[in-house]
Amino acid sequence: MKSLSHPATANPYLIKLRNFWNHGDRLWNGIIMLMAVLVLLIVLGIGYLLWIDSSSARELFGIRFIIPTLDASWNPVTNNYQAWPFIYGTLITSIFALFIALPISLGISIFLAELCPGWLRLPLGWLIELLAAIPSVVYGLWGIFIFLPSVITPLGNFLGSVLGPIPIIGMLFAGSIPAGGTSRLAASVILAIMITPTITAVSRDVLLAIPRAQREASLALGSTEWEMIWQVLLPYGLSGILGAIILGLGRALGETMAVTMVIGNSIEGSLSLLRPGYTMASIIANEFAEALSNLHSEAMVQIALILFFITLFLNLIARLLVWRVARRTPQEGR
Amino acid sequence: MFRNLRYVLFMVILTSLLLSACQPTEVIKTVEVVKTQVITQVVQGQTVEKVITATPAPTKAEPTKAPTLAKGSVQINGSGATFPLPVYNQWTFAYQFVDPAVVINYQGVGSGAGKKAIVEGTVDFAGSDSLVTDAEYAAGKDLQMLPILAGSVVAIYNHPELPATPRLILDGKTLIGIYNAKIMNWDDPAIVALNPGLKDKLTTLKNKKITAVHRSDGSGTTEIFTKYLTAVDKNEWKAGAAASIEWPVDKAGNGVGGKGNPGVAAVVLNTPGSIGYVELSYAKSNNVPFAQMINAAGKTVDANDKSTASAMSDFAGSLSDKLTADLVNGKGEGTWPIVGYTYLVIKMKDMKDCTKATKLVEFINWALTDPSAAKVAGDLGYSVLPKDVQTKVLAKLNEVSCAGKPVVINK
Repeated sequence: MKSLSHPATANPYLIKLRNFWNHGDRLWNGIIMLMAVLVLLIVLGIGYLLWIDSSSARELFGIRFIIPTLDASWNPVTNNYQAWPFIYGTLITSIFALFIALPISLGISIFLAELCPGWLRLPLGWLIELLAAIPSVVYGLWGIFIFLPSVITPLGNFLGSVLGPIPIIGMLFAGSIPAGGTSRLAASVILAIMITPTITAVSRDVLLAIPRAQREASLALGSTEWEMIWQVLLPYGLSGILGAIILGLGRALGETMAVTMVIGNSIEGSLSLLRPGYTMASIIANEFAEALSNLHSEAMVQIALILFFITLFLNLIARLLVWRVARRTPQEGR
Repeated sequence: MFRNLRYVLFMVILTSLLLSACQPTEVIKTVEVVKTQVITQVVQGQTVEKVITATPAPTKAEPTKAPTLAKGSVQINGSGATFPLPVYNQWTFAYQFVDPAVVINYQGVGSGAGKKAIVEGTVDFAGSDSLVTDAEYAAGKDLQMLPILAGSVVAIYNHPELPATPRLILDGKTLIGIYNAKIMNWDDPAIVALNPGLKDKLTTLKNKKITAVHRSDGSGTTEIFTKYLTAVDKNEWKAGAAASIEWPVDKAGNGVGGKGNPGVAAVVLNTPGSIGYVELSYAKSNNVPFAQMINAAGKTVDANDKSTASAMSDFAGSLSDKLTADLVNGKGEGTWPIVGYTYLVIKMKDMKDCTKATKLVEFINWALTDPSAAKVAGDLGYSVLPKDVQTKVLAKLNEVSCAGKPVVINK
């Protein structure tokens, strides 16, 4: 009792504990690190679970599960599964969506950051962000009832007649689009609309963050506004813009609801954008709740695993790209 | 960095302690809050009328109700099929007024998930459109299926060049042909032969191509539909019968999948020249035209309560020990050929809580026998069991026991 009250002879553990609480920085560090570790744990946990839960499907189907084929089979009745149509559907719709969305969103962000009159900047910015906040099921509903019949079907017919006969690109525009418009093209365009606000908002912020001195120096050297944007601003902000693109691509790859509603959910063996297709996220959303057998759900878990790896892989590439670009670009204040 | 590890450890322990301390009460509270919200929402909605008409009838049916039970003190949880969800929602809501002590939660998570839940014991009953498998019977010991409602599946179509009347007539072989991509045009002789009244129209169509639309999500509707196709001709229809199958018409590049009944209906309505299948209740409530069918007896029939009930009566004699039956392609003259039961799955002897068991049996008994419950189901486009099937289900319900003692229903 007595010894405890005297600081010099106090229990060394108590002193340590008091130091611990008095020294806020360490506690703070600990909390922050816990958060960081949590993220890592979650990613590892998901990966581990997907890996374990798909083990017998992986063993049974092996590489045949993912090899490209035009005659793939996904048959819950006979328990024969091949994932290629879904992998292809996810990749082609996401890439084509990016192809459409990139010029549009880059244009919008340049306009917003550089050319837009002040009174328009705020409302336009808000509208773009609002577009990003619309739930994907709403896009799907709007797509299936309004957008598909009135825009996609004519667009598909047009693309089919113009690009269809060209040798290699023609493969992507072969065949005829269903009258209702449900097709990979529809999914791509809906995805493009959905990822445009993401890419736009981030690249606008990137452009706005570029120091004024860069613009002034460029203009002082006699460049036009066009040259200033293309030769100074875009290269300077390239790493940020790349990041924005990857964010958009990530959303496109994982998007489920809107795509399921407009893509037609059919595994027909065609490469064409104009034909109905299927994506990895849609097959899981469609069939997981009513999976017929263990193997059926394991096959879907394996698809989830593939999607997980594709996303990881893409992010890795993006990270490398951003690093490379960032090293090349002179940064101020460093 | 890693010298901070022990603080991390400390924080982990602290948070987990905190979490474990407050979690249980928190969860219960949120559940309560959600429930009251749901109830108030429904009260504000238009369902009130039906409930009021539903209340007076059953009061005489439960004279020995234990008066000691407080309002809402017995919670019965169920989950499973989404096909009967609209009916179950109305029933569970109305049942609060029949027996205020009981609160029934039913979550539409899909038949497969529902069956899994009852095998694992996380719910008191499950709803399912598909049969409990042998493996599940083995794991769940005394599971019993009880047919509770039947629904019909109809082939909806959209062809702007065809008149509203007479309606299209199809038969099983033609549907097989369409979904096998053997019949790809509206002026196919098989279709023309079935529709003498539409012959001139069918042979002079400008848009001849048929697009076949099917469910993309695993569903009881698909199971009923494909069971019918299998029953009609097993040798022609080789894709099998299940909640999700590989559609031959997809591989032929002539098929489109829509998510859910609304998805199929939307694709059909947007695609001139398409045929799809949805539940009768859905086609009715959304005024989508559907084809009449030629049944196994060779008669042209329309889908309604009577033809669905006729299908159930056709198979009343062939109910299995687990009270299951496939209601497709029945022999009766007035039978709609594409019908399926939706089941409740319960435990016959193995329920832990006997009050709960009694209340659950009382609820199922009410759902099967009460006229207001039948009216709710009928209004929503479902058919209740005909007398002969109902007797069998009630007899089975009487065999339910808890802790070795039978659970008695008052009649």
